[in-house]
Amino acid sequence: MKALKCFAVIMAILIGAPLLVVIPMSFSASESFRFPPPAWSMQYYSAFFADPTWTGPAINSLLIGLGTAALTLALVIPAAFALVRYEFRGRAFGSLLILLPLTVPNIVVALGYFYYFGSLRLTQTYLGVILAHTCLSTPIAYLILSASLKGYDRTLERAAANCGATPLQAFWLVTFPVLRPGFLAAGMFAFVHSFDEAIVSLFISGRDVSTLPRKMFDSLRTQADPVISVVSTLLLALVVIGSLTPIVVRRMKARRQAALQRSAMQAVAVV
Amino acid sequence: MQKLRPYLLLAPLTVFLAAFFLVPLAQVLWLSFTEPTPGFANYVHFFADPFYLRVLGMTFLTSLLVTVCCLALGYPLAYCLTQASARFGAGILLVVGMSYWTSFLVRSYAWMIILGNSGPIISLLRAMGVETPPELLFTRFSSTLGMVHALLPLMTITLYSVMKKIDPALVKAAANLGANRLAAFRAVFLPLSLPGIVNGCTMVFIVSLGFYVMPVLLGSPSEQMMAGLIGQQMEEFGNFGDASAMAVVLACATLSLYALYNRFFGLDKLWSKGK
Repeated sequence: MKALKCFAVIMAILIGAPLLVVIPMSFSASESFRFPPPAWSMQYYSAFFADPTWTGPAINSLLIGLGTAALTLALVIPAAFALVRYEFRGRAFGSLLILLPLTVPNIVVALGYFYYFGSLRLTQTYLGVILAHTCLSTPIAYLILSASLKGYDRTLERAAANCGATPLQAFWLVTFPVLRPGFLAAGMFAFVHSFDEAIVSLFISGRDVSTLPRKMFDSLRTQADPVISVVSTLLLALVVIGSLTPIVVRRMKARRQAALQRSAMQAVAVV
Repeated sequence: MQKLRPYLLLAPLTVFLAAFFLVPLAQVLWLSFTEPTPGFANYVHFFADPFYLRVLGMTFLTSLLVTVCCLALGYPLAYCLTQASARFGAGILLVVGMSYWTSFLVRSYAWMIILGNSGPIISLLRAMGVETPPELLFTRFSSTLGMVHALLPLMTITLYSVMKKIDPALVKAAANLGANRLAAFRAVFLPLSLPGIVNGCTMVFIVSLGFYVMPVLLGSPSEQMMAGLIGQQMEEFGNFGDASAMAVVLACATLSLYALYNRFFGLDKLWSKGK
């Protein structure tokens, strides 16, 4: 067991540590990719925030991600209801179609969009990238939504109907609030998927609506711009914050509950 | 009306995917047979050219190597996560998860620094007196290493999600019946974890086959993989005929692997246990 634990710790270091080298690089004063950096400075942070060729793509990625999340939810929520709740001819085909974007290699899809959106004049537009990203986010959003829908107890809806609610009222007042965490999770995954997607953006976003991954890819290919280290560090920080937040929230909730319990016990003892 | 409802609910997404996903894919297929001249010329060209065949073979070999490495490292790691204390397991899983969620571009950049000519490994070799240290970056070694590092979290998480459902009492029962630890592992735990192995290997192999970012950024320009070559053909040479024929070959390879998986296990099992 001890040997196995040692192995796990070594693996965790091998998995985690290589990522950390981007942090000291972002505080480097040198122009090269030299590691460890010969001197320290904050110059690349100010360079990042002052350079519209970096902040522009960051804003583009944010907007495209939000657009993708909204459009994905609008299309996938009704579809998930149809596929989870009804038996009908063509159901198997429907669920296969929804999962299809997950199975085709992204470079193949990118080639298709490059050609197709070129003929529709959708390359280098926000709309084009959002449409493409929505297709790619659909399977993930569907998997999350259908899982949360399957776990939903439909007697709640029937109870609402028994109390005189119309189907629409039952949906808004009962179903929607119960399923909201699932909807939120699906929207978040769609956003993250779009924000992270590099290949399709690389070929269709052009210079005008360049996304952050596209800009990063170009920068890495030419190896000319050390600002990439700042972007990498900021993205890494986002991942760390995103991973730790649920843990901290859970712990705080547990602590509050424990405190409540303790004060209740004290109250009982006093009485 | 009641009967029509599921169709009405499903219609918007179906129309959307048909218009913005199936049509562009069909266009790739169409291009591969018509650009520049109608016929099978692009495919004949692809399967007759030793350069293209080498790229195809290299892509499969590299993906296989990456899958084997990820399994060899990921299996003991996932096994340890199920056996160790909850706290220890959660800590390791947190690191694996963070790496999983980090952009491939950030991970590529990190490896560029580590393996680069002014990076720590080369400097160390120089300090140790190696006059001409080997080229590490932009080789098959660096792209394979980068891919293993990138896909190990996926393999580990997939294996773990199956392993954690294995009832530890079963292994204990085997031990009670006189099996030593190794025998209990081999007779009970390993077969029960087989679905995880199949899932993990399928996913890692398929992602590797179509991997673009890391082979292009970390690999050698003269030893590309399929995805990189497709990108180069369309971007640099505007050679849509060859690019689309290669894309169709790559897509067919991927889809037939999925079809094979679906035939034996059912596609829904591949993703439902994942994240």
